[in-house]
Amino acid sequence: MPSNTASSSSAPAGSADSSASRTKSKRPKYSKFTQQELPACKPILTPGWVILTFLVISVIFIPLGVVSLFASQDVVEIVDRYDNDCVPTPARANKVAYIQGVSDKSCNRTLVVPKKMKQPIYVYYQLENFYQNHRRYVKSRSDSQLRSVKDENQIDACKPEDDVNGRPIVPCGLIAWSLFNDTYTLSKNNQPLTVNKRGIAWKSDREHKFGKNVFPKNFQEGNITGGGRLDANKSLSEQEDLIVWMRTAALPTFRKLYGKIESDLEKGDTIHVTLLNNYNTYSFDGKKKLVLSTTSWLGGKNDFLGIAYLTVGGICFFLALVFTIMYLVKPRRLGDPTYLSWNRVPGGGR
Amino acid sequence: MIQGLCEELGQIEYIFSDKTGTLTRNLMEFFKCSIGGISYGCGITEIERGIAQRDGLKIHEEQRSAGAIIEKGFNFDDPRLMRGAWRNEPNPDLCKEFFRCLAICHTVLPEGDESPEKIFYQAASPDEAALVTAAKNFGFFFYRRTPTTVYVRESHTEQMGKIKDVSYEILNVLEFNSTRKRQSVVCRFPDGRLVLYCKGADTVIFERLAESVDDVRKVTREHLEHFGSSGLRTLCLAYKDLNPEAYESWNEKFIQAKSALRDREKKLDEIAELIEKDLILIGSTAIEDKLQEGVPNCIETLSRAGIKIWVLTGDKMETAINIAYACNLINNEMKQFIISSETDAIREAEERGDQVEIARVIKDEVNKELKKSLEEAQQYLQTVAGPKLALVIDGKCLMYALDPTLRITLLSLSLNCTSVVCCRVSPLQKAQVTSLVRKGAKKITLSIGDGANDVSMIQAAHVGVGISGMEGMQAVMASDFAIAQFRFLTDLLLVHGRWSYLRICKVVMYFFYKNLTFTLTQFWFTFRTGFSGQRFYDDWFQSLYNVFFTALPVIVLGLFEKDVSASLSKRYPELYREGIRNSFFKWRVVAVWASSAVYQSLVCYLFVTASAFDGKNSSGKMFGLWDVSTMVFTCLVIAVNLRILLMSNSITRWHHITVLGSILAWLVFAFVYCGIMTPRDRNENVYFVIYVLMSTFYFYFTLLLVPVVALLADFIYQGVERWFFTYDYQIVQEIHRHEPDSCNADQLEIANELSPEEARSYAISQLPRELSKHTGFAFDSPGYESFFASQLGIYAPQKAWDVARRASMRSRPKAPKKK
Repeated sequence: MPSNTASSSSAPAGSADSSASRTKSKRPKYSKFTQQELPACKPILTPGWVILTFLVISVIFIPLGVVSLFASQDVVEIVDRYDNDCVPTPARANKVAYIQGVSDKSCNRTLVVPKKMKQPIYVYYQLENFYQNHRRYVKSRSDSQLRSVKDENQIDACKPEDDVNGRPIVPCGLIAWSLFNDTYTLSKNNQPLTVNKRGIAWKSDREHKFGKNVFPKNFQEGNITGGGRLDANKSLSEQEDLIVWMRTAALPTFRKLYGKIESDLEKGDTIHVTLLNNYNTYSFDGKKKLVLSTTSWLGGKNDFLGIAYLTVGGICFFLALVFTIMYLVKPRRLGDPTYLSWNRVPGGGR
Repeated sequence: MIQGLCEELGQIEYIFSDKTGTLTRNLMEFFKCSIGGISYGCGITEIERGIAQRDGLKIHEEQRSAGAIIEKGFNFDDPRLMRGAWRNEPNPDLCKEFFRCLAICHTVLPEGDESPEKIFYQAASPDEAALVTAAKNFGFFFYRRTPTTVYVRESHTEQMGKIKDVSYEILNVLEFNSTRKRQSVVCRFPDGRLVLYCKGADTVIFERLAESVDDVRKVTREHLEHFGSSGLRTLCLAYKDLNPEAYESWNEKFIQAKSALRDREKKLDEIAELIEKDLILIGSTAIEDKLQEGVPNCIETLSRAGIKIWVLTGDKMETAINIAYACNLINNEMKQFIISSETDAIREAEERGDQVEIARVIKDEVNKELKKSLEEAQQYLQTVAGPKLALVIDGKCLMYALDPTLRITLLSLSLNCTSVVCCRVSPLQKAQVTSLVRKGAKKITLSIGDGANDVSMIQAAHVGVGISGMEGMQAVMASDFAIAQFRFLTDLLLVHGRWSYLRICKVVMYFFYKNLTFTLTQFWFTFRTGFSGQRFYDDWFQSLYNVFFTALPVIVLGLFEKDVSASLSKRYPELYREGIRNSFFKWRVVAVWASSAVYQSLVCYLFVTASAFDGKNSSGKMFGLWDVSTMVFTCLVIAVNLRILLMSNSITRWHHITVLGSILAWLVFAFVYCGIMTPRDRNENVYFVIYVLMSTFYFYFTLLLVPVVALLADFIYQGVERWFFTYDYQIVQEIHRHEPDSCNADQLEIANELSPEEARSYAISQLPRELSKHTGFAFDSPGYESFFASQLGIYAPQKAWDVARRASMRSRPKAPKKK
């Protein structure tokens, strides 16, 4: 009785409500969606399914691994590190001074072809410890300026290589400024090997990102000269070295395409490389390598994919075996009520 | 760690329930009464029936006498009182006073037509309406009220069948309040007789009785105990003839007090004391408070789910204990600790009357009791198959037990008990008890109630549930969830609560995982950029990752994930315990997800960067930063989206649509975004990147390898966990793996019922091992009732009056026996 005095005269209202709701139901319209009754598949990871999945993965992955490993094995690759060797012995104590000096930088290298290399053979330069993915470096470019002449003043992102005495640099920014400028001249058995430098950049870059009527201006005319210079009479879309260089690499170790040799090399051929060692990687201990490589349908020489596929396939096969053995050793009947926690622990009802 | 309503709904460990209107229907029906020491009314309460059933006794369907009137608020059946038959009872005058008291002493307003059928009583509490309705059915029809008069159409007062309209002048109304626990009316009869009618709680009325009526007093007290233990709500009625002179002098004081500006309430109470004494006991009324439908079943299910239910009620200890019995909360196998203020020591102190002394004595007693009970409880807990424990405590003791010095003892005792009943508690105490458990024990609590007195409790608990019932909307307005009946709590907690807990855990963990995976790839990349903070991904990829490419599947997971169907959730209430233990959001789970994120990000990042070093197609061209990052991003989007399918227990077509859709959305976005150049100056880093990537075999080889390797670890983990460290829900899934998912509401109900055999074995298990005081009450009345009913049931009544007369004649000799 005391507990009820607080509520005042609500009984009639309540009863009126209930009689009204009898006639006008608030029950929502039935739908399988709102009632959570959509047909559903209820996967249960039974041992059978687990083992089957492992087997399927291994059956698919092992052949793929073999295929990609073969593709990678077909590729012939010659790698030659020259950053150290191309500094004359007396100058090695201070390589930076040497590279910044004006002395003759040419250097001769000899490569022996270990296996027959079918054309096209790609010539790459490989830089290590070069952080082309550094935040300030990556930002330091102006895509609109590269694309069209009228935007040549859009150089805000390019500092410090944005202008020379108020005149905009085209192409501006650190990336272009640090253009790689070692050159390679190859010859086989004293016959010069032509290195075709056309078509080394992605077509999309060439045609859309670098303008056909944008020409280099004021390039490398600032206080500090960075890397290579550009031919002011060639439009940017034709400067494929620049285009390749400006597709910044993901990691501090990277290769970039230098050119391609459009003739076969036989096993045992000796290739003489005359290179101009202009590019300064010595101030940050960067390595420079020259790479000659053929390609397969899967790309260059990289066993990673093949090994990964084979390993994963192998692991899955192994796991399938292990799981089978485990289930045999420690079986559990599917849906055994005795495994329910409240059945396992006596007095679990408390 | 996670704070919110919906997942707390799946982790409730303590339910605090109001009794009235929540466990019971708050449908007050005048059910029995006792007049001048004779008990009237032959119904059986549901509580009595429940107890009897649990004791294995069969009860015949209640057979009503033909003249019985059933209307809202009136479920009384005894021919001895109906239709003027009371005139033939041993003390008809007392009966007359009884009915007049019912008809006059109240604050009810009549509405509508002044005819017995159409009138509607507007009352402050359903009890009052029930009492006035009872008076109407006894032939004292209260039909009109003016500020100073009450009009009653009295039948059979002077002679059988005579109807007379009488107007009583109401001189004073001494209103009901919770300290007085009584209500009085001073009225003048048309013949000038001055009478004070009083009704109120037994304790207060008995204190104020004249000394002479000891015999009636004793018998009435017995009746009151009986009514109380049947779960009935009792009120005592008393009257007193007033001397006009004495009244006049009292009335002057009363008017003075009424116009006092200070402490009016207190003064009025004091003045009332002066006249409310030397009362003559008329008898008592018993109003049935019906149990809600399915309450005992629901409570049983909830306790299997590991939820402990505490009943906090303003009712008497006997009523509360009995409701607890009827609801399965307490049974005879349980060890009960009763901490009551009705002990001899406390009563003695109260008789001495010194307030400070009383407080000290009660506190000492409570302290002693608590300590003793706690020791005993701990002994029981150490034994392997000890009895379950129950604690019953009343409001007065609770007041002292909630004292900071005793609070810890109270808490540790009550946490060891399976069920706790607090009776005679105020709304504030309800809230205090709730926050004691919430804050003291750091458990997730739920309060359920229907009335304004439960609002504080509802707000004190983590989750408040309001029952939209008879007591207005205050509780519903204050609550987080409103349901219509207590039994729907099973659905709310076991189905929706569990699901939403599961869903929120999965959604939160997935969000954590997908963002960690995404961010970690960026993190690993930072190591290779000279720590310059170069972004790995294009800005738009990064921004849209959470918005488009991984958003919808997790929403669908949050909408549709269910480990087991609704019917199985209720069939295995024990599954709810996984929520109470917080099995799906422990640090261990977080750690597993985090390591999964670390692994996957490493796989995505390292596999792609390691393999993308050299020329990636037959034309020997090289990938740049953005090609590599787009490749990683593609692998990541695929792996993260497919992870949803791996973690779902129930995969609908919407899962497939959204997972595939998200991956496609990424590809479509990449095609469009990489294909356009805007005239605005922006870094067109990713221009054409996706086309370049897709022109290589490498792209497809990586796309197959990386997501599979990334998900392989999770797959192995899940396979091992399922087989060797199985969760309960997984076993249940396996048991019912061949059954179609039946969510039909009708089937749910059936699934929840016990089979006849189960019910029987359950009933046997519930049979009392020792007789306790409470079941004792239930024994005599069903026997008597069934006998009485079978006597009546044979005859098909031809004429109402005939049957009524016959019934009244038959039952006459029984009445003394029942006394």
